[in-house]
Amino acid sequence: MTSGYGRFALARAGQAAVVVLLAYVLTFLVISVLPGDAITNSLRDPQSGLSEADIQRIVEFYGLDQPVLVQLALSLGRFLTGELGFSLQSNLPVSQIVGDALPSTLTLATMALAIAVVFAVAIAYGAHYAPPRWAGILRSIPSFFLSVPNFVIGLVLIELFAFRLHSFTTTDPNSATATLFAAVTLAIPVSAPLAEVLIASLDHESRQEYALVARSRGLAEAQLFARHLVKPSALPSVAMVALIVGELLGGSVITETIFGRDGIGTVVQKAVTGEDQPVLQAVVSLSAVVFVAVNLAADLLTPLLDPRVNVREAANA
Amino acid sequence: MTPIEFRRRVFLAGITAITGSAVLTACGGPAATSSSDAGTPVDGGNITFLIQGYDTGWVSSKTSISSYEGNLWGQITDKLVYVDDKGQLSPWVASSWEELNGAKDFVLHLKDGVTFSDGTPLDAAAVVANLNAWAKGAPERGVSKVGLFPSSNFVSAEAADAKTVKVSFSSPALGFIATLAYHGCILLSPKTLALPVDAQADLAQEIGSGPFVLKSWKQGDSYVLEKRKDYNWGPAALGHTGPARLDTITYKVIKDTSVRTSTVASGQAEVAFNVEPQEIESLKAQGFTVGTPKYLGFVDGFQVNTQAFPTNDSSVRQAIQHGIDREEIRNTVYTEDWDAATTFIQGNVPEAGDYSSAFAFDADKAKKLLDDAGWKPGPDGFRVKDGKVLEFPLTPNPYVPSTKAEDELIAQQLERIGIKVNLKVVDVAGYAAIQASRPPLFQTSRSFVDVGTVAGVLTSQNNGENWFNLGTSDQKLNELSTAIASASDRESREKIAGELQQYVLEQGYFIPLNQLVQRLYLISPAVKGVQYNGLAYANFYTAWVAK
Repeated sequence: MTSGYGRFALARAGQAAVVVLLAYVLTFLVISVLPGDAITNSLRDPQSGLSEADIQRIVEFYGLDQPVLVQLALSLGRFLTGELGFSLQSNLPVSQIVGDALPSTLTLATMALAIAVVFAVAIAYGAHYAPPRWAGILRSIPSFFLSVPNFVIGLVLIELFAFRLHSFTTTDPNSATATLFAAVTLAIPVSAPLAEVLIASLDHESRQEYALVARSRGLAEAQLFARHLVKPSALPSVAMVALIVGELLGGSVITETIFGRDGIGTVVQKAVTGEDQPVLQAVVSLSAVVFVAVNLAADLLTPLLDPRVNVREAANA
Repeated sequence: MTPIEFRRRVFLAGITAITGSAVLTACGGPAATSSSDAGTPVDGGNITFLIQGYDTGWVSSKTSISSYEGNLWGQITDKLVYVDDKGQLSPWVASSWEELNGAKDFVLHLKDGVTFSDGTPLDAAAVVANLNAWAKGAPERGVSKVGLFPSSNFVSAEAADAKTVKVSFSSPALGFIATLAYHGCILLSPKTLALPVDAQADLAQEIGSGPFVLKSWKQGDSYVLEKRKDYNWGPAALGHTGPARLDTITYKVIKDTSVRTSTVASGQAEVAFNVEPQEIESLKAQGFTVGTPKYLGFVDGFQVNTQAFPTNDSSVRQAIQHGIDREEIRNTVYTEDWDAATTFIQGNVPEAGDYSSAFAFDADKAKKLLDDAGWKPGPDGFRVKDGKVLEFPLTPNPYVPSTKAEDELIAQQLERIGIKVNLKVVDVAGYAAIQASRPPLFQTSRSFVDVGTVAGVLTSQNNGENWFNLGTSDQKLNELSTAIASASDRESREKIAGELQQYVLEQGYFIPLNQLVQRLYLISPAVKGVQYNGLAYANFYTAWVAK
């Protein structure tokens, strides 16, 4: 068992490293294919009045005139030694840009994840135990949550709570209240798939024989839910949460833009618009690492939580 | 991004229609739009200025000309010369100047007692360091020069004494003094200029001498400026001495245009940069001030590539020139705050003349020009000649708001005379590639302080920008631009500039649309005394908040 698990863990970790590396190379190549580069784009503003020769001199300073593969090799070499370099757009150190933005995004994502879990559990519980008419409505809520675009939710919340009720001000997006509303905006679409999975597995588990037995022994539904159904129903949700972390990082772009928060989403958006390769490389790699690490943790956790999962088969798969 | 952006706008327009009007009415105050600057100025007060982005760092040579960073640079730095919105030059840090030897040599006399915010003097040595940075930059450190500075004939700048700077050029540089008022030429401490480019990116390292200094900031998010209490060298033209009236200005990034507008409309901030032109009218009706300053420079319009199909045919150029209904553009896309163009340079440039007959809207004339040149209407209504359809691609200028709506309308207008326009919308990154591909029409936006700049873009002489792709093939254009570039007195230059405008428009080398408004300011009714310079930036040195 132990050696089997060890091999399984090692194989998964190896795959994770390959995924991160591939994400890095792929991002680099995709940006290289786009027309222009960060330096030329800003210097070619019709306002600047710089000649092609003037621009060329600055492009050479940044080494952007070299073949793509040479640039990739240099960039990858720096990345592997832990050096993130400087932004081509703002000339600031990439580590500083990412470091400044990270706390805001982490706060938002953590809060949104917590709210999403609460929403999902509440919906799933209600869908299962509420009177049939209400349960039907609750069961349709996840698809409703999924179909309302993120920015609509955000703008409605801002219009209502910031401009009409004055609960928070848009000029201070990092205040606790403003963060809460941003987190709700982000949590609503994220809670939907989680609720779906919870509802489905609750349905499944409550039909199992052990639940039947528990019920026949006179256990109240609430007790049955808390003592027997929660743990097995949560298993598929562990994998789901891992996927949701990715969505939290992605969905934060729109939420941050609307609420005026300066986080990783905003950094990505600026870097893509400005073709700011060093910044984009760093953020994509960071996201890949987070995504892969969370999924790896979920993968490694599942066989420990659920003895039915055969690691030997998984390792050979 | 575009569909999302679009849906969001449409959605918000709906929200605003339903609930926003209530907010506006509640917060807008009386709808009186009489003089917004009435009353006695008071000291003190704080304002918040909302802007869509501070993404490009603070390397001055790269960002001082930006619409976004330029707004903040203008509060923390001074210039040697001030230019007002009529193009009039007046003293600032330079208290006077002399133009000698046929505009080849200049002497600048500096004001006494001007200091940078770190206490070091802004003396002749500091001005020399700045002049060299503008003229040459430091490419070996990744720092570019200032694009419009007359560097090709710049010889030297030296300090004669602590208060006097001598500047020499190898040929007449009539535009030199005017260029000192250009937003690229901001005065910074020599210490700042000597820093490596990565250190210059940090705003805290940027030491200026302006009426405001940086108090605190979060890069890319918000910047708090506070007034400098010992400031006493503002331009006399602004009619104010001593320190600024406002205590602080907070520049705060809010990306979404509708949120910026609503935030000011609901009273949570005082100024918003670049609102939608369509919203101006209703905002004004609620008592808000909307500043639509026009910079000195080229109008909104197209550089024409005379070598590309189909604009290599002069009758096609003429037809486009007369086929565009500029009044319809103003009425549909813009508001009455936009002015008609009378030539290809903005109306406040002193040398601008009225040559509007050269590009007056006349669809019948445009059609006849095409008929006579052999462009016959084809089966689908578009004209054809020698088996080729009369069509070309057109890309809106992403640096100017609402050019997309503008170019869509132009495409419809030209369709009516049988020209097919293929609209291609790109972002800023894509626009550089469009420019490099030299399309038939390229939509430009360029400010300048001196009409001499025009000479540098027309042909390929003296490393010129060759806007019309004529190289040196048009003898008359060569002569006219040489005459402007080498003129040593303003009167004769003004005459040549007139001749040049007439010629360029008649040949259809430049197709003007309307006078350009690149920067829009939505200002709360309580904020008074905001002034605009010739580069269309708001100056808050004289601004105050009514109690």
